[in-house]
Amino acid sequence: MKYFDDVQVGDVMRFGRYEVTRDEIIEYARQFDPQPFHLDEEAANASMFGGLIASGWHTGAMFIRMVVEHMTPVHATTGAMGFDDLKWLKPVRPGDVLSVESEIREKIESRSRPDRGTVKIESRISNQRGEVVMSLVSLVIYLRR
Amino acid sequence: MKYWEDFAVGEIIALGSHTITEAEVLAFARKFDPQPFHTDPEAARRSIFGGLIASGWHTCGLLMRLSVDANRREAAAASGSPGLDSCRWLKPVRPGDTLTGRTEVLETWPSRSKPIGFIRRRNELINQHDEVVVAVVGITMYRRRPAAAA
Repeated sequence: MKYFDDVQVGDVMRFGRYEVTRDEIIEYARQFDPQPFHLDEEAANASMFGGLIASGWHTGAMFIRMVVEHMTPVHATTGAMGFDDLKWLKPVRPGDVLSVESEIREKIESRSRPDRGTVKIESRISNQRGEVVMSLVSLVIYLRR
Repeated sequence: MKYWEDFAVGEIIALGSHTITEAEVLAFARKFDPQPFHTDPEAARRSIFGGLIASGWHTCGLLMRLSVDANRREAAAASGSPGLDSCRWLKPVRPGDTLTGRTEVLETWPSRSKPIGFIRRRNELINQHDEVVVAVVGITMYRRRPAAAA
């Protein structure tokens, strides 16, 4: 288990493999982001995106799934305060396969809670062609050893 | 149609409300964020949260949904987002909470190359106790008002 004390600025982790499906794009969009280019293939083909694309928030949800599967079991984290500087850089389409590269950017000790600290982690989510589709800097709460 | 020109700095837009159910919390978390305090009511009771809470990414999805519905009501010419400055999950969201959305327009500027404009906005979800549970500052693109025909 990696605690606040164990992670080092500059550490890089690569993980995850998420196959994006048409059905999941539409299912997410129906519930959370019902815009035509996320919902309807014909409307999406006629849009500036030239085909169905995933909601950016769906890409965020796929990202957290990969984090919870691969990082959470081995890092002593207890949630996150949020994130900064999220960029949606490229469309995510059915058939894309996403993976994550995360880098420890900064460690901030808590003054009020000596048993924990905040770690800024920059993550880049890439597709099967190595194109970064989304990036963000998460503020993750780690327990101390 | 509400175009980029129709948004004013300082304008506040009510986004409507959603009451979140335990079934919704569990369904989202089991699919995307399977941590025990989001997926298992019993384990959640024993956690630091003292009960089941919604994934922060789920609350962001709800805020997006309220924004999309508001754009539709106003017939606003929304045209996607390049990204967000910040998102903060400020308070836990629990099953049964009624979340009301609100947007404040912070800044507007036109694109130099495309017939769109940008709006920096602060979007919030507020619970039934008047607590802000999530706050997102981000940029949304809207189409420009077409030039009037001569």
